Amino acid sequence: MPDNWGFVAAAYGLTAAVLLIYWRRLAKKERELERLTAGRSRSAERSRDRLTAEQSRERLPAEQSRERLTAERGPERLTAERSREPSRTGHPRPDPDSRPPLQQ
Amino acid sequence: MVKTLGWVAAAALAAGLVMAFGVAPREVTQGNVQRIMYVHVPLILASYVAFVVLALASLVYLIRRDAGADRLAHASGEVGVMFVGLGIATGSIWGKPTWGAWWTWDARLTSVAILFVMYLGYLLLRGTIDDPERAARYCAVLGIVAALDIPLVHFSVYWWRTLHQPPSLMKPGGFTGSASILWPLLINLLAFVVLYAYFVARRVRLLRAEAEAAA
Amino acid sequence: MSYARRALTVAWKDLAVERRSKETLNALVFFSLLLLFVFQFTLGGDRERLAAVLPGVLWLGFVLSALLALGRTFLVEREHDCWEGLLLAPGDKSAIYLGKLAGNLALMLVVEALVLGLFVVFFDIDLGRALPGLLVVVLLGTLGLAAVGTLFAAMTANVRARELLFPVLLLPVQVPVLLATVKATEALLLGEPLGAVAHWVKLLLAADVVYVVVSVLTFDVVLEG
Repeated sequence: MPDNWGFVAAAYGLTAAVLLIYWRRLAKKERELERLTAGRSRSAERSRDRLTAEQSRERLPAEQSRERLTAERGPERLTAERSREPSRTGHPRPDPDSRPPLQQ
Repeated sequence: MVKTLGWVAAAALAAGLVMAFGVAPREVTQGNVQRIMYVHVPLILASYVAFVVLALASLVYLIRRDAGADRLAHASGEVGVMFVGLGIATGSIWGKPTWGAWWTWDARLTSVAILFVMYLGYLLLRGTIDDPERAARYCAVLGIVAALDIPLVHFSVYWWRTLHQPPSLMKPGGFTGSASILWPLLINLLAFVVLYAYFVARRVRLLRAEAEAAA
Repeated sequence: MSYARRALTVAWKDLAVERRSKETLNALVFFSLLLLFVFQFTLGGDRERLAAVLPGVLWLGFVLSALLALGRTFLVEREHDCWEGLLLAPGDKSAIYLGKLAGNLALMLVVEALVLGLFVVFFDIDLGRALPGLLVVVLLGTLGLAAVGTLFAAMTANVRARELLFPVLLLPVQVPVLLATVKATEALLLGEPLGAVAHWVKLLLAADVVYVVVSVLTFDVVLEG
């Protein structure tokens, strides 16, 4: 019987390809999540700092403009990514008022 | 921990590959195309492991409402469907030069195809429900119904193919068990089970991080 | 209100709604007629071919009707904002399941009787001795379809792409029931006694028990929200 190496290559190649794609998909999702949480914690820190800075002293205009820029960019990215997340929190069950309206 | 698992899986897969092509002999009747068995059989068997874990995790979730159990079921379902789909594909690729057909409706193939579609439905259900808690509950119920259905599927398909009908002549995966074929098979089986564990561990970790981020 | 009372109330409500509006029944009857005509167009000429595929075609008709009927089983609750009412119902919610199951079973059996009658008339089938055995098989098979169908209908009731998801979930799980009923019907129509298909009947019985028990146990979970 002929060896049909083509079929062997197809089988092994398909398996390798699918497994690799899944592996890369996992890595990509992890990176996205990393960026999201890092961005969120960074902007949380920044808004905390801004509050204390405003309360304690007058700031230089250069610093102010730089901070405004990064503060603007941060929340934008968050809302853009947040809209992709599922709408509800995990367990335990959310209270009835916060539940989304029934869908058709 | 997850990373170590990954490295072990990679090493095992490499070893399996070497065994499949270096150690395993050229099969007498089928030729080298028989080497596809060294991925096909492990994929199918590893998917069975995945579905058993899914069933147990679903049961645990229904009893204890433990979010970790739900994540385990979710991840196991994903990897299980991927493995069984690949298993069917590789089996089909093996079948064409060996039997002359991409597909036959013999008992084993039919049962595995039904399994694939059932658990694909499980993933679809997950994807369709946005509320994580409701998704967990519904999928747990579906997971248990599917698991209990498996013996019914097995018997009905088997009887359909064997009673009042000559049994299928071509039985995929049947081997006469010489050591040089058995060891590559076992090593690859171990490799794919470890790979399953690695994928599930990584996926569960990701699911937990996503849940915490959304909280 | 006792458990049995609640179940009967749900069943009676569904049947009363159906008797008044006859929406589902009408849809199913016309659908069955359509099936009949299509089968006649494609298979009517060749009697032997027809006899060979008749069991499968008959159950195809039953299953498609079942999908229609079961898919709509929670439609009334959904459309008239009664879903929350179901969720807030006191006591063991599995009573609702049994009530729904009884209602669905009654509806499906009526339609199946109609379809069978039409098939007998239009395809000139001699049921004769096969009838008692056939009734057993049809009853057990329909119960199997309805048992899981009612559970899955509740699960998919408030979900996106409900019409797509419901058959996708139901049909693979129902393969054992489909196989058993078709093979048993085939044997019975060929004149074999019920004893010859005992293994199929036992499978159907086992399936029915498993499906009903699991559904009763898990219906509460589905109706949590």
